[in-house]
Amino acid sequence: MRAPDLERQIYVAPVEPPPARRPPVTSVGALGWLRANLFSSWANSLATLVTGALLLWFLGTFVAWAVTSAQWSVVTNNLRLITSGLYPRAEIWRVELTAALLVFLTGLGLGIWGRVARSAWIAVLVALAAIVIVPVLAANIPVPPVHILIEPQRSPSSLVFVGAAGDEVRVVLDPLTDEADMAVRQLGYVESQSRTAWSTQARAVQTGQLDLSNYNLSLRVRVLDASLSPLSASGNPATIVSTPEAESGSLAVTLPRDGWYVIEVQRDDEDRDNNAGYAWLHVEGVEMFPSLEVVRSGRAAELGPPPDVERPLYTEERAYRFEGTRDFPEFVSLQVRPFLRTISAEAFIGFGLFANGWIIGSLGRREKTVRRAAIAGWILAGPAILIILYGVQGSRTLPVVPGSVWGGLLLTILLTFVGITASFPLGVALALGRRSDLPVIKWTCTLFIEVIRGVPLITILFMAKLIVPFFWSGLSNIDLTVRMMIGLTLFSAAYLAENVRGGLQIVPHGQIEAARALGMNPLLTTSLIVLPQALRAVIPAIVGQFISLFKDTSLVAVVGLFELVGIVDTIVSGQPIYRPYQREAYIFVAIIYFVISYAMSDVSRRLETSGAGSVRR
Amino acid sequence: MTMQQEEVRVTTNSNNNSREPIIICRNVNKWFGNFHVLKDINLEVMPQEVVVIIGPSGSGKSTFIRCINRLEEHQEGQIIVDGIELSHDVRNIAAIRSEIGMVFQQFNLFPHLTVLQNITLAPRFVRRQPRRDAEKIALQLLDRVGIPEQARKYPGQLSGGQQQRVAIARALAMQPKIMLFDEPTSALDPEMIKEVLDVMKELAQSGMTMLVVTHEMGFAREVADRIVFFDEGRIVEMGPPEHFFHNPQHERTKLFLSQIL
Repeated sequence: MRAPDLERQIYVAPVEPPPARRPPVTSVGALGWLRANLFSSWANSLATLVTGALLLWFLGTFVAWAVTSAQWSVVTNNLRLITSGLYPRAEIWRVELTAALLVFLTGLGLGIWGRVARSAWIAVLVALAAIVIVPVLAANIPVPPVHILIEPQRSPSSLVFVGAAGDEVRVVLDPLTDEADMAVRQLGYVESQSRTAWSTQARAVQTGQLDLSNYNLSLRVRVLDASLSPLSASGNPATIVSTPEAESGSLAVTLPRDGWYVIEVQRDDEDRDNNAGYAWLHVEGVEMFPSLEVVRSGRAAELGPPPDVERPLYTEERAYRFEGTRDFPEFVSLQVRPFLRTISAEAFIGFGLFANGWIIGSLGRREKTVRRAAIAGWILAGPAILIILYGVQGSRTLPVVPGSVWGGLLLTILLTFVGITASFPLGVALALGRRSDLPVIKWTCTLFIEVIRGVPLITILFMAKLIVPFFWSGLSNIDLTVRMMIGLTLFSAAYLAENVRGGLQIVPHGQIEAARALGMNPLLTTSLIVLPQALRAVIPAIVGQFISLFKDTSLVAVVGLFELVGIVDTIVSGQPIYRPYQREAYIFVAIIYFVISYAMSDVSRRLETSGAGSVRR
Repeated sequence: MTMQQEEVRVTTNSNNNSREPIIICRNVNKWFGNFHVLKDINLEVMPQEVVVIIGPSGSGKSTFIRCINRLEEHQEGQIIVDGIELSHDVRNIAAIRSEIGMVFQQFNLFPHLTVLQNITLAPRFVRRQPRRDAEKIALQLLDRVGIPEQARKYPGQLSGGQQQRVAIARALAMQPKIMLFDEPTSALDPEMIKEVLDVMKELAQSGMTMLVVTHEMGFAREVADRIVFFDEGRIVEMGPPEHFFHNPQHERTKLFLSQIL
């Protein structure tokens, strides 16, 4: 009776375990990943498709705008302002020295303690290669056309430009005879006044106040060289003659030599009593060439003075409104190339310094002297940078540059740097103070933390600016920038203290008992046992606080300092030609903020997972 | 009163090899709030003696040995360790703590430091030993507790038994005269208990003065010179293992032993 039952209850595994088998094909590899992560259920598939479509739509719209319509010259032409604000041009080497120092020390530090991901090296090398290759590749891309509107009320100007031997210049005269002609069909540059006139007239046509069919202009367009003698095209003088009867026309010339050229437009006003109508003059093959730069770079001497014509219209970027590019190569040549050319020297020097630091660091990571030098370098860097940037009273080589003219990225980074280094010890001290056994210290710290946390940062900054000097007049002599640094530090320290307190609370009491049982005094216990564990546990929160601080520095713009956001605000509101390009400028600022914030959070993630940082239990 | 203390100090310091007690507890009383945890504890421990303290949970045995290195503060009575009376004087506390090693139930290793750093930390920063010397001693101690190969690992990478052996080595690195064990095997798997007890036996044989709070009756029987039975905050019965296990006198002791044996 019991035998079969026992057989069911007893099981003994065979001595040899079964051999391991491969998992099913659908659960591994790319296909397996897709199935498991993106299309695991119908809801997940739907979410994948909807989110993917939204993402594509958003990215597509953005990229299309960034490539075809955005005018990034607002960034390229203002890089110095964006990076260092109103720091005097003659002293700009001090900013560069500071940057060089920081880049070198970063490379050194990463070489010793960190590691640079291979993908990061590849990205940097690709970027450097692009800086070299793109300008070369883009050299032969045709330049976008220039458009000038000929109006009855305005005497036509002459387009003055610098050409090179062999350049092909094509001029098209296109009268506006119906509403469809009002669209700017070819993108590129439109002369600023023409742009205004064109939009006014387009509105007038729409409302019926202007009748385009009443075209009544006779024009003559010629291409002249520097001595104002007409060029010829295929044997004949290069001329377009336009009359109400024979309206349009075009001409193409090859420029014989380097030098100044003029496209002259003449209107036969005397013949016409009824002088009405508008015409576009499209010019292709003329490079937007800042003529001021020609003068500044000394090419004026080489090319001779510009020809003396009435109402000259130079091909300088600032006189023209950008209406977008026609294709991707044009975007590269017009937007990417100038930017890369502007940053190329700095990029290579910076990379060279970083790579040097990195090599020294990685070769010497086992050498105590190298490690000590790097630590000393970082500790000394703070004061050294402040002295280099601020200068020394009465010094000739380092004249004082007051903090009020520091600006741009420089000021943003300085405020962050000072804020972090000063608020960290203060925050830790406040956190420890709030847990102190001595009531007076405890209450003081708690009061400070709660008051600061209960007040918006902007209020603290205004207090630092306006109210503090009221209590103590000695403070009003302190540089506004320094007062902002203090305000940001106090604010950041209060939040940091709460983060650190959270970390202190998770250190088990047994740790403190063990330390005390070993004979450690409170100072040793706190510094060797409690703080290392507490701080490591709250690295994400602390770095989050530092990232917030970095972004919060933008608020000092409100009290009149021109950090990154402040200076960009000034650029787009202060310089009329850049007013239409606010979007580009702010997007560039957003990119800078993002890159730096992301780097900070990446460092934080590595600290958390690295051998030195992970709390192993 | 002060005269008496001076006397004790002088006599114990004069000759360590004499049979003077190294720990003297006289009428020790302690309260947690209104709760009377320790009631008139009187105990003297001789050098090289192994005293095992047993008793039901909440009987005050852990609190008692934590009073001996002042992790807890007693409110009445005297505790004199190696001739130094425990008082509010910070220097006294520090002096006594460096004489006494302690091993905890939860190991309390420092998770952010390697095994080697755990052991060398206090010798380096409290005793101001040079790092090289401290590390040499630490490696010898690791060898003694049987895990020389784990020096570079972090506590989290070790098993419970290994962690507790590191904790013992850490305490020994301060070269204490007395070792306190607060339920050292209670948080361990049965397989690991043995390796820790073996280390403790070796330590006892080497002549270390030990106070051990434990539930390991086998260990108590084999190693203890004396067994102290705690209940409700007082010492109920005390005596050598033979007496304690075979001839207990107090009803409470008999009841306790009948339940665990």
